[in-house]
Amino acid sequence: MKKYDIIIILFILLISFFSYLIYQNQVSNNPLRAEIYHYSELVETVPLDQGIDRIFSVKENENVIFHLFINGNICFEESDCPDKLCIKTGKISKPGQFAACLPNGLLLKIVSADYNNRDVDIIVGN
Amino acid sequence: MENYEAYRLTGNMSKTKVMIFTGLLFAIALILSLVESIFPVMPMVVPGVKFGLSNIIVMYAIFFLGAKEAYLIAILKAIFVFFTRGFIASTLSLSGGLLSITCMLLISFLLKQNISIIGVSIIGAVSHNIGQFIVVSIIYVGISLWYYLPVLLVAGIITGLLTATMLKILLPALKRLV
Repeated sequence: MKKYDIIIILFILLISFFSYLIYQNQVSNNPLRAEIYHYSELVETVPLDQGIDRIFSVKENENVIFHLFINGNICFEESDCPDKLCIKTGKISKPGQFAACLPNGLLLKIVSADYNNRDVDIIVGN
Repeated sequence: MENYEAYRLTGNMSKTKVMIFTGLLFAIALILSLVESIFPVMPMVVPGVKFGLSNIIVMYAIFFLGAKEAYLIAILKAIFVFFTRGFIASTLSLSGGLLSITCMLLISFLLKQNISIIGVSIIGAVSHNIGQFIVVSIIYVGISLWYYLPVLLVAGIITGLLTATMLKILLPALKRLV
């Protein structure tokens, strides 16, 4: 390990930190929406910046209740699954975050509103 | 670079011997990438992140054979990937491989004595990822990939450290190949 090795490592860490910051800054300016999937099928899209407090469920499974908060957070409020992992995940609000109720096949995830929903099917190899 | 003169191969090697040795290294690189794909799922696994074990061989070729042979191995490997895994995987392999060799040559030429094999390896791994990143952004226009850049950079540091350590351990064994 020589001096420049450490400088290189620090430099790369710095770049990745800044690109992370830039990305965060960029997406926080975009409106967000939550997508609810039932067995990999998009069944409901909820804009997060409505500023309303709403409790709802999707027609595919009335036993699972979602809660949208005024501040744009969303979470699983109620579920009939045995482990309640979906509720324990808690409130989510940032793009990329997700909560899932696997016994009911429900996935709740947050995406940026300008995110184009194209399927990426690619194997990255070296 | 540390003094690895004892391991340097060219000079007293005939042209044929260099060619055979390059072929041999290419075969080892293929085996390593095969071994890598067999590995069970690792806890740190993120799509697109691999150890890049074959980078050990490419680095070895750069340091002890020459730039030409290293490029040759990368191109041969891309051709092999083209036949086994198709066009896109091959393009990714080629872009990552060529950029990583170029960056490693450049950094070891610029910093000479001030950088060790670890730094070179990290530069190689990170630039390999960046090369693939660029090509993916070109092929799949419009896909938001920027969130992935920090992941790739940090992963490059880790895999770079790993391959450098493994090359150091493997050097005596590779010397016996000649």
